[in-house]
Amino acid sequence: MLRTPSFVRMTMAAGLVLMSFATALHAAAQAETPSEFVATLGDSAIRMLVEEGVSPDKRIANFRELLLEGFDVPLIGRFVLGIHWRRASPEQRTEYTDLFEKFLVQSYAARLGQYGGESLRVKATRAGGEKDTIVSTEILQRGRPPVKVDWRVRSGDASYKVVDVIVEGISMIITQRDEFSSVIRRSGGSVEGLLARLRERAD
Amino acid sequence: MLGERFRPRALFGGLILSGLLLGGCTATGANGGEEFDSGVRDPFETANRLMFAVNLAADAIIVRPAAEFYRFAVPAPGRVAVRNFVRNLSSPVILANDLFQGEFERAGTTAKRFFLNTTIGLGGLLDVATGMGHEYHDEDFGQTLGSYGVGGGFYLVLPLLGPSNLRDAFGTGVDFFLDPVNTWARNTGRDGIPIGRTAAEGIDFRARNIETIGELQRTSLDFYAAVRSLYKQTRDSAIRNGAPPPLPDISYYGPRRQPGEFVAAHSTAAE
Repeated sequence: MLRTPSFVRMTMAAGLVLMSFATALHAAAQAETPSEFVATLGDSAIRMLVEEGVSPDKRIANFRELLLEGFDVPLIGRFVLGIHWRRASPEQRTEYTDLFEKFLVQSYAARLGQYGGESLRVKATRAGGEKDTIVSTEILQRGRPPVKVDWRVRSGDASYKVVDVIVEGISMIITQRDEFSSVIRRSGGSVEGLLARLRERAD
Repeated sequence: MLGERFRPRALFGGLILSGLLLGGCTATGANGGEEFDSGVRDPFETANRLMFAVNLAADAIIVRPAAEFYRFAVPAPGRVAVRNFVRNLSSPVILANDLFQGEFERAGTTAKRFFLNTTIGLGGLLDVATGMGHEYHDEDFGQTLGSYGVGGGFYLVLPLLGPSNLRDAFGTGVDFFLDPVNTWARNTGRDGIPIGRTAAEGIDFRARNIETIGELQRTSLDFYAAVRSLYKQTRDSAIRNGAPPPLPDISYYGPRRQPGEFVAAHSTAAE
């Protein structure tokens, strides 16, 4: 039998996928226009979701890399904390920034399982405020109506970064901010209450 | 059958009465309600959270199992037919609200859909209109009020029906009375029909969202607050007929700077 043992093929395939994943990330970083950036980011995300033979830990690590590369996570974290950012001590801010990143990776990695067999199509681009570009896309799923997803993209020092994702009119960062501000309010207005919950979640 | 004939009027009276009660609540709630970033006021949060917990319990015990069974027992084409059918039944209400909003093109779409799907689509079981370029859209009286600038008022969690607000709860009542199927059912004593229809809509929605709702419930730190925010944003989006939402200011200097806090915000933003 000349057939390669399946685990070898699996390892090879995983390696190839990872290589193309790294290339895609690189391409996203090098993108010349916001729409090109979103298209590349979307493609690498979808490729990441459908790749086989990858351990859950590795998948989360890949997702984390993609998130940090493509999203301005510190800025989003600060927006989400809203008015409470200023009330937080420097130590609390540092801890929050770290915990928020973990929270994002965990909650979105958990949601990834529902997706599969999608493709992303860039529909249009428009200015979003003074600084940003909104890239309108459709995520096409088999047997379901397409989902309208708008990516709010800001151009950073070296590359583009996503600062908000708006799914069918629902802003990810506003939802997150409403939720966090409710947690803070219910723990007597202290940021510590939110940090405690995030710590719990991170363990 | 005097009683039967009077029932709608009694119900309508009840609606006005509850509208007045709710209206009275607005006046008292206006001061107590804190405004959140997405603009929701929730002066009755304690009561709402309690109702939310009751609804979640009902969901865990009855609604989700029913939705899971429905998805397991009825093959996909059957579920699509159920969905098409309940949607087609709502066409008159959607049409009325399209017209109330002066959206004549959308009203035309709704009318064509109703005609095509009721006839060629075998009483609404098939959605043949979408294939002919007449796509479905939703409208209700809450959206109509919203399109004339009526704000949501305070947030409400209704028994079984779930998230709502003053405007939309009132709108739901108006839509109920606008609906010819409900009127016919009421006048002929078939009270089970509106209930069965609402149940079918609920189970259909729940069955299509088992994973999404489950993940949100598992990953959120405050599921109640997340749903409240999602409800507000979804309704605002529906009122805009899907036009893009206003963009919040995202900057390192922080949103919603308050007078007197500027210096502190500015000095910390430099780090």
